[in-house]
Amino acid sequence: MKFCVLWVPDFRLHALRRSDATLTGRAIALISGEGRKATIAEASPEAKGVAPGLAVTLAMAQCPGIVLRPRDPTAEVEAQRILIAASFSLSPRVEATAGGCCTVDLQGADAARTEAQMRSCIRELTKAGLPTRIGAAATPLLANIAAHCAEPLLIVTDTRSFLIPLPLTFAAPTPTQAEILSGWGIRTLGDLTALSKADIAQRLGTEGVALWERAAGETTSVLRLVEPSQTFEAQWEYEPPVESIEPLFFRLRAFAERIALELRAAQLVAEELTLTLFLEDETDYRRNFRLPEANTDLDSWLRVLNSHLETVRTAARVVRVRLVAKPIRAPEKQGGLFDTGLRDPAAFWENLARVSAIVGEGRVGTPIIADTHKPDAFILVKPTELVPAPAEPPIHPPRGLRLRRFRPPWPIHVKLAGERPTTIDSAQIRGAVCAVAGPWRVSGEWWRPKAWAVETWHVELSEGGVYQLAYTDDGWRVEGVLD
Amino acid sequence: MSPPVTMAALRSLVAARFPQKARRQGVGVPTGVPAIDEALGDGLPASQLTELVSAAPSSGGQLVLARFLETTRTARQRVALIDAADGFAPHAISSDALRHLVWVRCRAFADALASGDVLVRDGNYAAIVIDLRGVAENVLRKQPGTTWHRLHRVIEHAAPAVLVLSPCPLVPAVPWRLVLSISHGLATKRMSQEQLAATLTVEIARGHVSEAMERAG
Repeated sequence: MKFCVLWVPDFRLHALRRSDATLTGRAIALISGEGRKATIAEASPEAKGVAPGLAVTLAMAQCPGIVLRPRDPTAEVEAQRILIAASFSLSPRVEATAGGCCTVDLQGADAARTEAQMRSCIRELTKAGLPTRIGAAATPLLANIAAHCAEPLLIVTDTRSFLIPLPLTFAAPTPTQAEILSGWGIRTLGDLTALSKADIAQRLGTEGVALWERAAGETTSVLRLVEPSQTFEAQWEYEPPVESIEPLFFRLRAFAERIALELRAAQLVAEELTLTLFLEDETDYRRNFRLPEANTDLDSWLRVLNSHLETVRTAARVVRVRLVAKPIRAPEKQGGLFDTGLRDPAAFWENLARVSAIVGEGRVGTPIIADTHKPDAFILVKPTELVPAPAEPPIHPPRGLRLRRFRPPWPIHVKLAGERPTTIDSAQIRGAVCAVAGPWRVSGEWWRPKAWAVETWHVELSEGGVYQLAYTDDGWRVEGVLD
Repeated sequence: MSPPVTMAALRSLVAARFPQKARRQGVGVPTGVPAIDEALGDGLPASQLTELVSAAPSSGGQLVLARFLETTRTARQRVALIDAADGFAPHAISSDALRHLVWVRCRAFADALASGDVLVRDGNYAAIVIDLRGVAENVLRKQPGTTWHRLHRVIEHAAPAVLVLSPCPLVPAVPWRLVLSISHGLATKRMSQEQLAATLTVEIARGHVSEAMERAG
């Protein structure tokens, strides 16, 4: 096989269905013409009794629930881009032959590997709402014919035996030729090629020769190659504007499918996604999602986007949505033999992103104690994929009970004897102090306007419990319990 | 009149009827606190939920958490801490014992449950700690039992050991509920963490000693 053709039957209908969530599973038809002259151009299999050419009124009578729509060029362009992106996963030499049809030059490709890729391509496109058939053969024309006969993949190895039983229409005869050949009793390509090429040339001229060559699979053509996409973005205008997230989810899924395919075809991965919602009040809402792990995994993208969108509230309706992926080369890495890494890195990062969407940005991570004496100063950093080997135990290991903080600290009234607390009273805890440790005084950043100083005490209450008190310029606070 | 059914006979009957429930779920995750590890057999049981109730202030709940982080750090096991009241103090732990920790600082109790629901399904953690101390008891009690039953069901099919730190007995049908009820004072201030952990005592409010011994092999 030297060429293959990816063909999507009922391409316009599928493109339309992909663009509108409400059309799923419904009988739909495309119409051409206007008013009383409008007729059915294409109908989905669900539209029983409706065929191309039927008047719209008759179609509505035949199939009462039918949805009639004109063609949607934007949706078709979007669907065609998906088809082209999928074609690039087979070979870098791709021709966008027609709407819903791409021809790919497979010369030099490994046959077994390419067949597996073609099956994967069919699965991926079908999942994206474009049920595709692929035919592979020695010439573009033969591959096209094979695609029309495929269920869903057909690889033609014996051209002659493949062509012989096919109807004559596959050679695309003109109406005049079809009438003449029909009169001769020629119904199949095999019937035509059984006649000699010279006899056909004598009776039907050069056009007849071209027909004979098409029927014999001898016609070849030069592909008009398209360039792979260099930008990885998609946008859609809503008419009317939307105010719920379902249409956004639906649209973003379609965008993500296409962009992921384009990235894979270019052997790139997305490092960052940028979502922009253009609002009716002429403002926009923009959000960058730095992916924890650069990838082209559609599900992980959708989880990140959906988790965030569920929390978004905008002041006005959304008129346009745009999704842009920032591409990078796929990182390569190899872990050490004794490293304890992640079992499933993708799930790890996705789940962290989901949790981050639940609790808020910057509230999930590995804590690192800040390089300061200021109490409770730490930062949260991205967890490492490998848990490093433990360090030597500290020379002065922690002693006693550990602090559990109250954030924010509780304001408290403290009675003192000299400078030592004797009783404490707050909304949450109160009681007499039976033992005290402290004070520990620390201060810092005295050279800045926000200099801080704190005096810390540990107090044990008669009825039980050891608490950490802090005295600052704002007064006394309970910072936490030693537990 | 039917013969009296002993508890052992009943257990064998249940084990025969539900073999998947009696099956040993996997190795435990040691906590580094002798009293708890002995009570549970070989540490926190994997694929199960264990509740540790801090029934009194300064009863050592945070010390258990600190020891647990140090022990899992030594074993290089990844741990998630879902902190419902945002009470974890990193300064209270040695900095190296934090490097395997994923800390989730929740703003509300509901966030903690939602985060727990996500993380227990993740196969990358050896243990997940859900710290509910600091959340008002009335808020905890309002949570319907079905939430916890759902979590039980998820954990059954997941790998990590899940430890719930609570201020009061909370989780229905929990396989193990341990209670820390003795308040410690300032006198423990000079004791090393290891010594102090060795003095902690826990009551087994739910669970079976025989099961723990069986788990310990």
